Amino acid sequence: MHEHRRTLRWAAWLGWQLESNWTEPWLFALYVIIKPLASSFLLVCMYYAARAATAGAVPPEFLPYMYVSNACYALVGAVMFGMSYAIIADREHYGMLKYVYISPGRLSTFCIGRALSGGGQALLGGALNLGVGVAAFPEVRQALGHYPIEWGWLVFYLLIGTVMLVSLGLILSAAVLNMARNGMYLSEGLAGVMYLLCGVVFPIGVLPMFFRYVSLALPPTYWLEGMRRTLLGPPPERLLESPLSSWSHWELAGALILSTVVLVAFAAWFFRWSELRAWRNGRIEETTGA
Amino acid sequence: MIPLKSTISLFLRTMIARAYPRVVGVRRQPSWVLHEALMPILSIAAFGFIYRAMRAPEQYIGFVILGGAMTAFWLNVLWSMGAQLYWERSSGNLELYIMAPAPMMAVLAGMAVGGMMLTCIRATVIITGGILLFQVSFAPTSWALLILVFLLTLLALYGLGMMFASVFLLWGREAWHIVNLLQEPVYLLTGMNYPLKVFPTFLATVAAVIPLTAGMDAMRQILFSADGFWPLGVEVGLLAALSVLFLFLAQRFLGYLERRSRQEGRISVKWQ
Repeated sequence: MHEHRRTLRWAAWLGWQLESNWTEPWLFALYVIIKPLASSFLLVCMYYAARAATAGAVPPEFLPYMYVSNACYALVGAVMFGMSYAIIADREHYGMLKYVYISPGRLSTFCIGRALSGGGQALLGGALNLGVGVAAFPEVRQALGHYPIEWGWLVFYLLIGTVMLVSLGLILSAAVLNMARNGMYLSEGLAGVMYLLCGVVFPIGVLPMFFRYVSLALPPTYWLEGMRRTLLGPPPERLLESPLSSWSHWELAGALILSTVVLVAFAAWFFRWSELRAWRNGRIEETTGA
Repeated sequence: MIPLKSTISLFLRTMIARAYPRVVGVRRQPSWVLHEALMPILSIAAFGFIYRAMRAPEQYIGFVILGGAMTAFWLNVLWSMGAQLYWERSSGNLELYIMAPAPMMAVLAGMAVGGMMLTCIRATVIITGGILLFQVSFAPTSWALLILVFLLTLLALYGLGMMFASVFLLWGREAWHIVNLLQEPVYLLTGMNYPLKVFPTFLATVAAVIPLTAGMDAMRQILFSADGFWPLGVEVGLLAALSVLFLFLAQRFLGYLERRSRQEGRISVKWQ
């Protein structure tokens, strides 16, 4: 246990150093906030453009829905993409993966440590993003002020969400271990699939029927619904309703816990299997870049 | 004094030589179909469904599809040109390029041409996929004008990419982060998914420095008969001016920054 804790700590420190020590602290802080802000403001501009084109027919509740969801979704990309990219970077660019593998720490624990570093950054960026949204847009301010934040549920969803995202990241990292460097596109692609199917920026009721069933099979759908519910309350506007609108927090939490348990078990098995396969095929020290 | 004919011949041969691996690589590594062509459709689809959920005019979904197609070119400019010399340095090719008698502009032009082929395929798949998924119609008022605007936008974009490539010679790991940083803010400023009139005039004017701003606004006017931020003639003139400016600056920057990189010993620095 002590070894796991130590590996986790040093991996998180290493991840933080790699992410942050390329520039001055003030520029790094700007970097952390600019990307999530830009992606949120893009959605804001789309909302205002649609509102102008429809003579104000778009309900004002759409903006906080998109804004809050998008801020939460940043965690998904950061953890999933961060973990798989760590494998690629350490193997291809720094040539360090083999040394990590032969060190006393477990490779899976190392990956989790790296994920926590990226996740921490994304959490900070998300919180700042929300703060700017509250300050700049009356619709977001009103929506967040209208319904009291359910802090207990928020902490629960953040914790269980972290476990879920780390499991997803481990599955991706395991897959990437046996792929060439373009395996990093796998996590980008999956992040894109989730952006489309998990109700991040529009209610899943808008999707064709088949894709709604796929959405309901994805754990991040429940997580995002839970996060929105704790911050914004139940959707007040009919246009924002989804199949999960009638679910209670307990039902959402139950679905999330069940899917996360399955993910954790699968991730543990798959990572071990992939790690052994990569070791047998000499992939741990292979460089595949051009 | 080297004859002009030899100079042009060397330029063209270098360009073809540098474009060749990118063109041949398309055939040898078929996995690009997945991440270059199919996956971008996912984010386009998400933005399309946002407009559909908000019951915006169907034309706006067309804006998203167009923006998605042009995103492919912007990403090509950033990653396959801007950051390319940084990666060439890491893999040890940069010093070979500099030692070779071929001009660096020709090397970069070859990267642009080679990358453009894959990017055009990606953009075509995005547009086709978007049209099939959302049943949006594209009806250009003038094909000749559309092609002119498109080519001018690409010329200006790739000129900007050549400038980036030379600037990134001075950077280490910051290059990757800066390139990463230039994605979302550019999507925001250039109005990738929405008409520019959402912005106040001064912001749109600042954003006009990026060729995509005027290029996409002009293409939206031609394809969807949408209201533009500036008249079409102004935007065509702006794109032509930006093309000339960026290509000129790229040549000057390349020479200056190559000299500086040699002086500071950055040509062969790796793993930074």
